[in-house]
Amino acid sequence: MKHFTKLAAAAALGTVLGTAAVAQELYTPNLAYRTGPFAATGIPLMNGQADYMTLLNERDGGIGGAKIDFEECETGYSTEKGVECYEKTKGKAIVTQPWSTGITLQVLPKTNVDQIPILAPGYGFSPMADGKVFQWAFNVPSGYWDAADMIVQYLEQDGSLEGKKIAFLHLDHPYGKEPLPLLEKLAGEKGFELLPIPVGLKEMQNQSAQWLQIRRERPDNVVMWGWGAMNAGAITEAVKTKYPMENFIGVWWAGHDADLKLVGDDGKGYKSISWSFPNPDAPVMKELKERVFDAGLSQSNAEEMQGVFYGRGVVMSMILSEAIQGAQKNFGTAEIDASQLRWGLENLNITEERLAELGMAGMVPPFSTSCANHTGHSGGWMLEWDGSKFVKASDLLTPNTAGYSDLIGSAASEYATANAPWAVNEECSATN
Amino acid sequence: MLYRTAGQFKTSYIADQALFPVKQDAFLLGIILTLAWIVFPLTASEFTFQTLLIPILIYALAAMGLNILTGFAGQLSLGTGAFMGVGAYACYKMVTLMPWMNPIVAILLSGVFSAGIGVVFGIPSLRIKGFYLAIATLAAQFFLVWLFEKWAWLYNYNASGAIQVPNLEMFGVFVSGPQAASVTEYYIVLFVVTLLTLLCINLTRGNLGRTWKATRDMDIAAELIGINLMKSKLTAFAVSSYVVGVAGALYVFMWKGAAEPNVFDIPLSFQVLFIAIIGGLGSIMGNYLGAILIVGLPVVLNVVAGTQVFEISTPSAILLVALIAAATFLFWVARSLWGVGAAIGFGAVTLIYGYAQLQGFRIDSALIEHINVMIVGALIIFFLIIEPHGLNQLWRLIREKLIIWPFPH
Repeated sequence: MKHFTKLAAAAALGTVLGTAAVAQELYTPNLAYRTGPFAATGIPLMNGQADYMTLLNERDGGIGGAKIDFEECETGYSTEKGVECYEKTKGKAIVTQPWSTGITLQVLPKTNVDQIPILAPGYGFSPMADGKVFQWAFNVPSGYWDAADMIVQYLEQDGSLEGKKIAFLHLDHPYGKEPLPLLEKLAGEKGFELLPIPVGLKEMQNQSAQWLQIRRERPDNVVMWGWGAMNAGAITEAVKTKYPMENFIGVWWAGHDADLKLVGDDGKGYKSISWSFPNPDAPVMKELKERVFDAGLSQSNAEEMQGVFYGRGVVMSMILSEAIQGAQKNFGTAEIDASQLRWGLENLNITEERLAELGMAGMVPPFSTSCANHTGHSGGWMLEWDGSKFVKASDLLTPNTAGYSDLIGSAASEYATANAPWAVNEECSATN
Repeated sequence: MLYRTAGQFKTSYIADQALFPVKQDAFLLGIILTLAWIVFPLTASEFTFQTLLIPILIYALAAMGLNILTGFAGQLSLGTGAFMGVGAYACYKMVTLMPWMNPIVAILLSGVFSAGIGVVFGIPSLRIKGFYLAIATLAAQFFLVWLFEKWAWLYNYNASGAIQVPNLEMFGVFVSGPQAASVTEYYIVLFVVTLLTLLCINLTRGNLGRTWKATRDMDIAAELIGINLMKSKLTAFAVSSYVVGVAGALYVFMWKGAAEPNVFDIPLSFQVLFIAIIGGLGSIMGNYLGAILIVGLPVVLNVVAGTQVFEISTPSAILLVALIAAATFLFWVARSLWGVGAAIGFGAVTLIYGYAQLQGFRIDSALIEHINVMIVGALIIFFLIIEPHGLNQLWRLIREKLIIWPFPH
């Protein structure tokens, strides 16, 4: 009853004041997974994302005066739930964050019809970089092909790869297969032997067969595209078989602190390419601690907030909020809609200065997007496990995108033909 | 009273053997068909189509296919997910190799492939039965999913290893793929499901159905009275796999839009098996009831948890109250106090939840998901305790009591 009176009062007040009343709100749902087999990796990412948005709401009253409704819809990493969440939220959402590769694959064609931007920071389909074809999809700041290219570049720093053998340990799933076309191309160009070793979803926790094969083949390096339980399984198995950790490199989703803490010092030397770096001394982390964590508005904990994944979550939300802000400035309205946010995501320009202003210097490399380039190709750092945490082991690596822009273009147009009629952005004249 | 059969005289054998010997049954089915064919499509939202109507129909169809094999012919199978996959991949290959093909024809034909594979994997059933047969079908499950992963021709050498449904046109209207409207997809699913349900009802009532039931109840006795067990078992595998394959094709083409091989892994088989068991083995209607409980209920609970209970619109409030009242009445007629308690309890919990919401109570989505899983699990146990033979049997009991109501027997 109290509620109704309040509502009635608000309505009466609204009529009196005329234009005021309705609170401006931006609805940016997140298809989170805090349950299910991948929850351990999902929770720190979701907390980082949610906490940054809470910080903006608490400190600045939202973005440009409009509060952010960063509602989570739980998917448990299941595709069916993901589609359910997408359908449930798409009505008033200005962006969708699908999270799993499976959900991304299903939602990707729908967003092109429903005209909602899909934000997949650091995951999804690599050809999404082609903004002319995938006009509603953004995998900022780096895609999987960028990661594969940077890893090969890093390995090349120790001398030519000619005649070397690189094992590619990957989840046998669309996600794990994603970098294969590029790695095969690079293997041909650089003359190294690529040895793909798939790990089935059922074998994630028991990889003895795969590591037996690695022991037999004696590859110079092992590159891993793992997720969830597969990473911990591979790292413990590598320790058990005494594989030299310094020759073991994972993608950014295989650099989760908790997986490495399982082996502690034995994991020393393990590397992971990453487009984000957890900088506990960054001003933004301090603010998050004071205004969100200490105020009891966070689901996180002190240890988790030091980790790579929490920091990455914060960066992801920063990218979204920057896009919202850009769109608000350009269109002169606080309450932007989905297509205006698309403009914002397409015209991101995250410079060193801007990062310093946001208190995030060194947490993500500077990057910018355009209507043709929906990834930004920010590059990243090689992180190394020092026995208790991840530290930077290289200078900023930037992917050699010119080497595979043809591959991006052909894969994108192949997708468009397979899904014809597929609306592409004809107006865009920039090149990738 | 509502189901009074007095005055409905049967004067010929044909009338006595009719599909609906009681007039009210036909009337009830008419209401359901009107709802499904006219009312729902006119009123449902995109969300309802995609998360309730379409998946419930598809899962019910898959469970019906399994029910023919397990419920009517008594052959336990754990390979349903893989057979759905065969249908889906066959349909995908057909529409990509022959783009001129009518999508509905392709969907109906894709079942033929899964029927063929089903018969091959059904051959062991001639020698083994029960749990041993379940393990043999489990082999089919593992082998086929492995094949979907490794045989690149099946997914047209796509780099990600997934199949993606193209936009398919029929008479100038998109019927499948991202461009298709949900209502079109729903009508196609409904058409196929209605067609196959009609087929299954008549098959199970006919000669073939009787041989299946004889095989199920006692195969040695069936053989002694002259039933060819090989024919009986293999036809069951063929018909069942056909229906399951069509359900698989619908699952990917009319609902999901894309699928990777592990979608067809064993959890899908179990889900379909649970629908069949909870709905009631050896029944047709049970599959629908089971699908509503297992597929529909979690979605509904999620929506309920996410809405302000005291702010829902009047029609939905009336609907909710009517549903609870009807459930209470039916359980009361069936003399099931547990059921009455559960229905009233559900209403009470909703009211308490709504009151808590007014006091500013919020739960986050992860917790909702955990609670949802617990509620659905508890309901499955609850229904199996009050009626071990499934929801179909529960409805039959209620119906019998309704016929003699208000007199207890």
